[in-house]
Amino acid sequence: MKQLTEITTPFGEVASAKTLPGSELGWLQQLRDKARAQFERHGLPAKKVEDWKYTSLWALSQQGFSHDAKAVSLDKTELSHVAALEDAYRFVIVDGRFSAELSELEGLEEGLSIKPLVDGLEGAQTMLGEQIDVEKPGLNAINTMLMHEGMVLQVQAGKTINKPVELLVISTAENQKLASHLRNLIQLEADAEVTLLEHYVSLADTEGFTDVVTEVKLAEKATLNHFKLQHESLAHYHIATLASKQAAGSHWHTNNISLGGKLARNDIHSQLLGEEAHVTMDGLYLVTGDQHVDNHTRIDHAVPNTTSDEVYKGVLDGNSHAVFNGKVNVHKDAQKTDSSQSNKNLLLSRSCEIDTKPELEIYADDVKCAHGSTVGQIDEQHLFFLRARGLDETAARSLLTYAFAVDVLQRIKSAPMRQALSNVIEKRLPKGA
Amino acid sequence: MTDQSQQLESITQKEYKAGFVTDIEAESLPPGLSEDVVREISRIKGEPEFMLEWRLKAYRHWLTMDTPEWAHVHYPEIDYQQISYYSAPKKKDDGPKSLDEVDPELLRTYEKLGVPLDERARLAGVAVDAVFDSVSVASTFQDKLAEEGIIFMPISQAVKEHPELIEKYLGSVVPYKDNFYAALNSAVFSDGSFVYIPKGVRCPMELSTYFRINAANTGQFERTLIVADDDSYVSYLEGCTAPMRDENQLHAAVVELVAMDRAQIKYSTVQNWYPGDENGKGGIYNFVTKRAACRGESSKVSWTQVETGSAITWKYPSVVLQGDNSIGEFYSVAVTNNMQQADTGTKMIHLGKNTSSTIISKGISAGRSQNAYRGLVRVGPNAENARNYTECDSLLMGDKCGAHTFPYIEVKNPTAKVEHEASTSKISEDQLFYCKQRGLDAEDAVSMIVNGFCKQVIRELPMEFAVEAQNLLGLSLEGSVG
Repeated sequence: MKQLTEITTPFGEVASAKTLPGSELGWLQQLRDKARAQFERHGLPAKKVEDWKYTSLWALSQQGFSHDAKAVSLDKTELSHVAALEDAYRFVIVDGRFSAELSELEGLEEGLSIKPLVDGLEGAQTMLGEQIDVEKPGLNAINTMLMHEGMVLQVQAGKTINKPVELLVISTAENQKLASHLRNLIQLEADAEVTLLEHYVSLADTEGFTDVVTEVKLAEKATLNHFKLQHESLAHYHIATLASKQAAGSHWHTNNISLGGKLARNDIHSQLLGEEAHVTMDGLYLVTGDQHVDNHTRIDHAVPNTTSDEVYKGVLDGNSHAVFNGKVNVHKDAQKTDSSQSNKNLLLSRSCEIDTKPELEIYADDVKCAHGSTVGQIDEQHLFFLRARGLDETAARSLLTYAFAVDVLQRIKSAPMRQALSNVIEKRLPKGA
Repeated sequence: MTDQSQQLESITQKEYKAGFVTDIEAESLPPGLSEDVVREISRIKGEPEFMLEWRLKAYRHWLTMDTPEWAHVHYPEIDYQQISYYSAPKKKDDGPKSLDEVDPELLRTYEKLGVPLDERARLAGVAVDAVFDSVSVASTFQDKLAEEGIIFMPISQAVKEHPELIEKYLGSVVPYKDNFYAALNSAVFSDGSFVYIPKGVRCPMELSTYFRINAANTGQFERTLIVADDDSYVSYLEGCTAPMRDENQLHAAVVELVAMDRAQIKYSTVQNWYPGDENGKGGIYNFVTKRAACRGESSKVSWTQVETGSAITWKYPSVVLQGDNSIGEFYSVAVTNNMQQADTGTKMIHLGKNTSSTIISKGISAGRSQNAYRGLVRVGPNAENARNYTECDSLLMGDKCGAHTFPYIEVKNPTAKVEHEASTSKISEDQLFYCKQRGLDAEDAVSMIVNGFCKQVIRELPMEFAVEAQNLLGLSLEGSVG
């Protein structure tokens, strides 16, 4: 078999042919050139790269995506069925383009600023590309050379934003086989707090490709409640990086829910760079059919006195394949680190596959680190208990599956958010097996 | 410097007790590896044609392979042309026919190591196939074992006397293509042990072999093959120490176990090769491939290891659970100190129905060492009701060492139940305080806590090994308070 690096993917050609935002900014051009050189050297990662051991990008490389979208007009009422949150500021991207008409960005609270990427590039030099490693095997290089749209969100020091923000990324049937390369920049100044939902959804059976990188920078004591709901069509490709650098006392609560996509991959990375910084990394994946979902998380405890807490749960049905890799890295001298991680998986069908690998790399001694990982199925005794109380088999199985998954939801503090996500998940639960 | 770290230093700088060199003439091949060297080894051993062919196939395949680099260890590149691939104590006439004929120098070496080779052997109930460098020089209890129909002999002898068994089983668990070091071993292995337990026989004693690397610059390439036929049982002990040397020495062994229907094999190791000095100079590179096949139904293989030595350990005793209802176990204590590096763990490959496996791994790191657990639990699509329980705990002593955990879990069958848990911690001030308050000094307190930490593994060892293992743990770690 040919290595992926030997295949000519069209991404390089697109980069030279297209006029991308920020072409007048020298520093950005340099960044894009560096990324392009990186991509031309290494291409897409092959399966022999450890981080991509269980996920092949072969099919993706064979797709021949288009990079030019027709403008699409959507009805606002149609949008209301799609949006997850009722009362929220909304930033809407349709087929890779920001839509001012559909967005709801009027009357932002004081201290909150939300702009499309093209307007936010100027002055983003110290932020853009700082949280990610362009040389890491993956799609960071492609995203950097091709990013053309996204949301830039900033919160000023000391401001707590009450209304949540929903970033709604919609793929429609009008633009089939479209590749979108999105870059979001989230920056919170000291003591600021905001809640953000990244929401990816398809309106039809789109076969597109969403490549998104979200960079997060949290100053001292800032708090970001960061949710992600990926709910695209079962023919869609979704590859995302979510990376943050956290200063002292900052909190990053992430909750990553993967329901859609033919192939969905998330690389979530937190660097705890100041004392008393904390990260919560939660996630839930419900997959069925021929879906492939891959979550790679990494937490770097770089200084003493930082904490992390991670719970990932998965329910696998059909011929689905799920991959989990959670790495916790405690650097030298990062004493008093407290880290816990768990990954639990429920297998419902004959032909699903789970590959899980929780990793600990520890270079300090005064630490408390634990991880656990399980693979199992619905307990026959639990089933019997419910059947004895009159539930039919299907209802009983569905209830037990929900009970397994609901843990992750219960860890969400905000009630409206919990409700909104819970509604979506209940619809997706397998109805018996 | 605090009181505690001074204690740690004084303890961890204890000298390596087994470090001495026996001065006997060795007959060696000049350094270098080529087809001619492989042919020469085969010729010296007087091997049948099929062995030479197999060695050559392995050698040719080895040439096409690259050194594995995925392990969490770092060392300068090994020049395989600088190693001598054969070294044997010089023979008098046609070799010793009884203990009296064995070089007295050699016997004294074993005595210093406490090997019960002569009369003490019988009292201790241990049959020893002592390997001094590459050739087995003496074996005991052959007669008693022969009565039961058990074959226990150097593998070079087995190649000549039981070629049909060797041809059938050698390489059937670890094929010569398996990995870089297994291919190298297959091409140049000099000696090792062969054990065959016939149907329905319970081996009446613990089988034991002591390895010892002696001649400088001689890589030692052991090959062990144990076959337990239907309804048989055997417990095999392997222990090793090595004299103090400055050059790095390569040790690339292969161990293959085959368990047929309802057979049980228990394989215990205490590994105490020379770990190098406190600056990481010298020490053994221990790159070992150990694998067992549970071929028959309800068969069972249990690996127990206490790893305290070697500069670098790269070792993953594995079990392939082919037979229905078969069981695999792995109990491990790995201790690293000073500049030692260990990347060790196990693989449990579930293929048959109702198979189960247990993994208990305890890692202890001190000094500037790196200690990694790397394991794989794989459940194949037809392995109904497979069950695995994994526990790996790490204990850190000192703020310059590292402890790492890389467990891979791959499940392709929904009836599987797989659990993995891992924790990392240090000996807490509270635990120490509690012990000291009751009159134990710091050293005894740490020793007690460490022994408690490792108890699950130590109790799996046969009695005489358990004592040695506890001494080793004590020697490496007493008093080292993080």
